[in-house]
Amino acid sequence: MAEPEGSGQRTTRRLGGRERLWARLGLRGRITFLFGSGALLLSLIMGSISYLTASHFLVTERQSATLTKALTDAATVQTGLDPALDNSAAAVIDQLDLASGTGALLLQHGGTYPSALGLGVGSVPAAMVRMVRSGTPAVQTYVLGGAPHLAVGIPIPAVHAVFFEIVDVSDLQHTLRVLLLALTVAGLITTVLGAVVGRTASERSLRPLNAVSRAARAIAGGQLATRLTAAAADPDLAGLTSSFNLMVDQLEERIQREARFNSDVSHELRSPLTTLGATLEVLEAHQEQLSPRARQALLLLGADLRRFERMVADLLEISRSDAGSSDVVLEEVSAGELVRRAVVASSRTLPRFEPPPVHIAGEAERIHLLVDKRRFERVMANLLENAALYGGGATKVITRIGPRSAGGEETIEVVVEDAGPGVPETERSKIFERFYRGQAAGRRGTGTGTGLGLSLVAEHVRLHGGRVWAEEVSGGGARFVVQLPIDASGPDDPADEPPDTADEPDGHDGTANGSDGARAHERLDAAGREDGPGSEPR
Amino acid sequence: MSSRILIVEDDERIRSSMALALEGEGYEVDEAPSGEDALDKFAAEPAHVVLIDLMLPGMDGFECCRALRRHSAVPIIMVTARTDTHDVVAGLEAGADDYVTKPFVAKELGARIRALLRRARPSDDEPKVLVFGNLELVPEQGVLRTRDGNEVHCTRTEFRLLCELAANQNKVLSREQLLDRVWGYDYFGDGRLVDVHIRRLRTKVEPDPALPRHILTVRGMGYKLVP
Repeated sequence: MAEPEGSGQRTTRRLGGRERLWARLGLRGRITFLFGSGALLLSLIMGSISYLTASHFLVTERQSATLTKALTDAATVQTGLDPALDNSAAAVIDQLDLASGTGALLLQHGGTYPSALGLGVGSVPAAMVRMVRSGTPAVQTYVLGGAPHLAVGIPIPAVHAVFFEIVDVSDLQHTLRVLLLALTVAGLITTVLGAVVGRTASERSLRPLNAVSRAARAIAGGQLATRLTAAAADPDLAGLTSSFNLMVDQLEERIQREARFNSDVSHELRSPLTTLGATLEVLEAHQEQLSPRARQALLLLGADLRRFERMVADLLEISRSDAGSSDVVLEEVSAGELVRRAVVASSRTLPRFEPPPVHIAGEAERIHLLVDKRRFERVMANLLENAALYGGGATKVITRIGPRSAGGEETIEVVVEDAGPGVPETERSKIFERFYRGQAAGRRGTGTGTGLGLSLVAEHVRLHGGRVWAEEVSGGGARFVVQLPIDASGPDDPADEPPDTADEPDGHDGTANGSDGARAHERLDAAGREDGPGSEPR
Repeated sequence: MSSRILIVEDDERIRSSMALALEGEGYEVDEAPSGEDALDKFAAEPAHVVLIDLMLPGMDGFECCRALRRHSAVPIIMVTARTDTHDVVAGLEAGADDYVTKPFVAKELGARIRALLRRARPSDDEPKVLVFGNLELVPEQGVLRTRDGNEVHCTRTEFRLLCELAANQNKVLSREQLLDRVWGYDYFGDGRLVDVHIRRLRTKVEPDPALPRHILTVRGMGYKLVP
């Protein structure tokens, strides 16, 4: 029972392989292939019919012409051999008017009389000779000396003779060969033309799909207003266009609804949190008036309210970056100063931990980055907090020039190391997911993080066109690496800008939805798309 | 005498809790539930600092801010639920000096208020009158006037920003330095505060604000004032 099953599986697998090959050809490839093979089949059939018809016609015509000539010549021979005339058989043969390539052979009384040297009884198939001698006329084609020949044998009983005419039909074979060649060439041209027509037709019919794919890419890049323009009254495409546009309409509506919802949630959650926070501070200011139990309750309330505030802030920040919000403020800053300041500022929010030593590699110090300072500060704060919660505190922060990115861009790396248990390999990408709690968090039990810190790090780094990952420090501990592209657009040379323009420093424009927002979105696009710059959506 | 703060906020609970917290910080607090009410209260008894929520029923926070600015140079802090560029910049352009985002910590709000109430105090070795272009700046009196004696009105924050730039003539001040000295922010303060205030200052002190000749942008570095 196992065997048929096995062989069945093999069949399926083989079929699967063929289907994969077929599918790999692509729609255009398949249509081209079908058109090409159709044209080939058609030209094969047409060519065969033409060839067979033509060759049949040519052969038949030559045979009948040879036969007619042979009958005439046989009659001449019979007349010439009349005993009353007393002509020699050889003379009679010589008198015959034979075309080149045609020979005559007379057999009489055991004598052989050829019209040319080289002809003899051997020039005609023996069976044919026997047949004609027995009184039956015959026509036969055969190969003599490597060339095709046609022989007509006519018995002339009146003079006890047998007459043969032998025609070399090489020319006929040559003609047929040329015909075959011509038909083959025509067939090949037809096949190629068929393939070209197939390719063109498939490309033409796929052209609307290219527009669809361009539009889809533009929409994926954030240009939600993109729509397909209806191909003028084409009933075949109208359906596709309208359903595509309907889909985008609904998508846009849903995104807007979500953004509105986020904004509403933002406001609704922030208001009570503001009240809670302000009230709590009043209570904390007067805690010496409270009983010890009430004071302990206030302490718990305060700790968790702050955590709740952080969580809401993180959540809103993430939802804002999902919606591609316009509050990205890019400024050109020195990488070394940025990292040092961020570490100091972040360490203030983690009072129990000393700020880790910051190493800035020589070249990295001079690098200028175009970043959103507030977001970068959040990145550092969250990485340091993560190290504090799960790695016993960061042991050092390193800033160095990184390897060139896949796109050839220069990068800078900011590395945060701790000496904790490290991140297990299986969790290294998961820890950047929202609300993912690793084993370390579970072990700790207290769960003081919001579960959003690292995912926010990933969001912010992505927004800057960079990437972040976790790795192992040899000797134990975790290393988080933030890799950012170095923006070459802003060298800190004051001379390259005439000083009397109204621009803000670093070309930063503070107007509502100004160039910053646009630039940040460009980056966002670049980060989100995997295509090169050549495939820019419209 | 403690400073008076006017809170313009429609949500009663937020208003009360803010009042409680700020009173705890030692301020005298006045409350207004709407923009219209705030203008009446301010006309009756001017406050030293005004906090305005941007989302108000009726007259919104931006309009209220502009209305106050027409008559007063009082420091204004806007309170916003969002940090979107649009809201923040629109609020600053309506005349606000600074902003805080909900939910905020009352201590932080107190720090912002103290920074705004601080007077411009040039150090002793600086001249009493700073001159540039057609203008004279008298830090001790808090007066900016043209050479022929006409006073140029500007807010306290604009004045302090101008003092910092004028006291360091021909030297470039980074946005971070200005944020620290004028607003009391650290390195991670919002640079848009500086940019919008510089733009507003230019409309007051430059002959042609689109082609500034005194308050210049130094790309990638900051701003500087040339006389």
